[in-house]
Amino acid sequence: MTNESNESNADDSELGLPWDRAARRGDSRRDLALVLAWSLDEPDRIGEVAVCRGALCLGRGGPSGDDPSPRAVFVRARPGESAPRPPFTNSRLSRVHLAVEPVREGLRVRQLGRAQLRINGRALAEGVAQEGDVVEVHNAATFFVAMRTPEMSGATSMTPAFPFASPDAFGLVGESEAAWKMRAAYAFAASTERHVLLLGDSGAGKELAARSIHGLSARRPGPLIARNAATLPESLIDAELFGNTKNYPNVGMPERPGLIGEAHGGTLFLDEIAELPERCQVHLLRALDDDGEHQRLGESRPRKSSFKLVAATNRPVDALKHDLLARFVHRVNLVGLMERREDIPLIAGHLLQTMARGSRFVAERFFERRAGALAEPRLEPTLISRLLRHPFTHHVRELERLLWLAIETAEHDYIGMTPAVEAELRDSAESASETAEVTREDLVRALADHGRSPTKMAKLLGLKNRYVLIRLLKKHGLSAGPEETGGAS
Amino acid sequence: MSLDERLLRETLELALAGEGFPARFYEVLFSAHPEVRPMFHRNSAGAQQKMFAQKLCAIVDSAHEPERMAAEIRATAASHRVYGVRDEMYDWVGEALIVTLREACGSQWTPEAEKAWRDAYGLIVAAMTTP
Repeated sequence: MTNESNESNADDSELGLPWDRAARRGDSRRDLALVLAWSLDEPDRIGEVAVCRGALCLGRGGPSGDDPSPRAVFVRARPGESAPRPPFTNSRLSRVHLAVEPVREGLRVRQLGRAQLRINGRALAEGVAQEGDVVEVHNAATFFVAMRTPEMSGATSMTPAFPFASPDAFGLVGESEAAWKMRAAYAFAASTERHVLLLGDSGAGKELAARSIHGLSARRPGPLIARNAATLPESLIDAELFGNTKNYPNVGMPERPGLIGEAHGGTLFLDEIAELPERCQVHLLRALDDDGEHQRLGESRPRKSSFKLVAATNRPVDALKHDLLARFVHRVNLVGLMERREDIPLIAGHLLQTMARGSRFVAERFFERRAGALAEPRLEPTLISRLLRHPFTHHVRELERLLWLAIETAEHDYIGMTPAVEAELRDSAESASETAEVTREDLVRALADHGRSPTKMAKLLGLKNRYVLIRLLKKHGLSAGPEETGGAS
Repeated sequence: MSLDERLLRETLELALAGEGFPARFYEVLFSAHPEVRPMFHRNSAGAQQKMFAQKLCAIVDSAHEPERMAAEIRATAASHRVYGVRDEMYDWVGEALIVTLREACGSQWTPEAEKAWRDAYGLIVAAMTTP
């Protein structure tokens, strides 16, 4: 036996330490991949992926004698699954349409078929696409260039089965690695009795995460009580959280179990927990530590509530008191749209289907019908390409708003780019690039100089308006004083 | 009869690369035979056009594999019988197809291309109308 065959056997062997085996298998190797983001004839295949490890060609139908290289095989990649899908039947794709080859700079893409190749909207005969770029075969198919590992991790037997590209049992839409890692994180957080802190921007899906964690946990037969801490009036926070006896603190007050009492046997989802005053954060500690021990206002004996707290904040973690923070053993970072852009077409499709189910106007004007049933939306590929490259700051909420805007301002029977959508994309992209340049130090300095005038601060920092500033301050856990009126006081 | 698969595919891809070939096909068909229009009520126009283009491609792409081509055609024939398609309607469809292909291919439409399509369509209809 040669040395070479010895090595080969070692690679295949299940002997050895697990971390060495994983390294030998190259589990962490990532390659550029094409993810189908739009298709004229096969919208049901959006989200399928072909990893490009060598020269490939892509076109309609299966392998042919004219293929310059092996044909790209698209799969519906999920943890533990990657069965090859049938060849494309898209009529606007030529039999051999694109040649794709990984090179040092990215993926070299060459047009061989009839419909025009575009990379990031630019018509080319040949070009190099990098991660995050959009490769289009004009009016036939659109691909997002992503990095993918050969085997998707994040496997969890706890996630109930659901059809590819559809929302999961809790409403999360996405087939990207990031989406599956989030599902795995939810399942893990659900598998223990520890409290969970969700961290993520506004619109990143915190409530959906809480629903997932509750639904995957042994507590799912119990209640899921959801409340936004920012909406609790400061003087009533304790009563809201811990409950009160009858006629306390005022005559006529009914007896209330409080959110903690209501959540007994289930989950309490408290959004924007960092908005709770520090005093109230301290009050929560005992309930989090000692089997949910708490006292209703006006009552001397302690009660117990078996509840799991899933709290969420879009502020940095240091906005929470350190001892409250320490109670959250599990912290789940919610991934925003920017980190899972390949899911944008799937989420857009799901949002549009939801809109169509709720609006006969949308269904009749913008959707195809097949065999009498609602089918795919008529969606202009340019809109999807633009959305794939848009710097979202408000995630799914922003995507939904853009889609409604496209519908509202559509002049024809399809959903596409309109001047209003163009303006909105431009404005929010500018705003995102402005805010990205402003650091926390800049904000602290500006607060010291002009803390009483958000308008002056915004101007000083080169931001579009004071609302952009306020969002940015909130993100960094800061706040400005009330606006000076400029008049005599 | 052997089909000129390459010529069929080149002309079909040329036609499909232009804008609106499938839509124009239905326009030609409905304008010559308005009585067939109600047969297409189950799908929206856009969906019908996509299905038509995909089916044409699938048949042309399978021209070198008679068994696969026959299977494609049999599947289409079965659904057409359900919709009430009569034998003479296949001639109407064939004529509309040739007219639309000729228009879409422009100067690249040759007598050889027309013969290739008429041969192919003849085979398709024979397979579809054979019980």
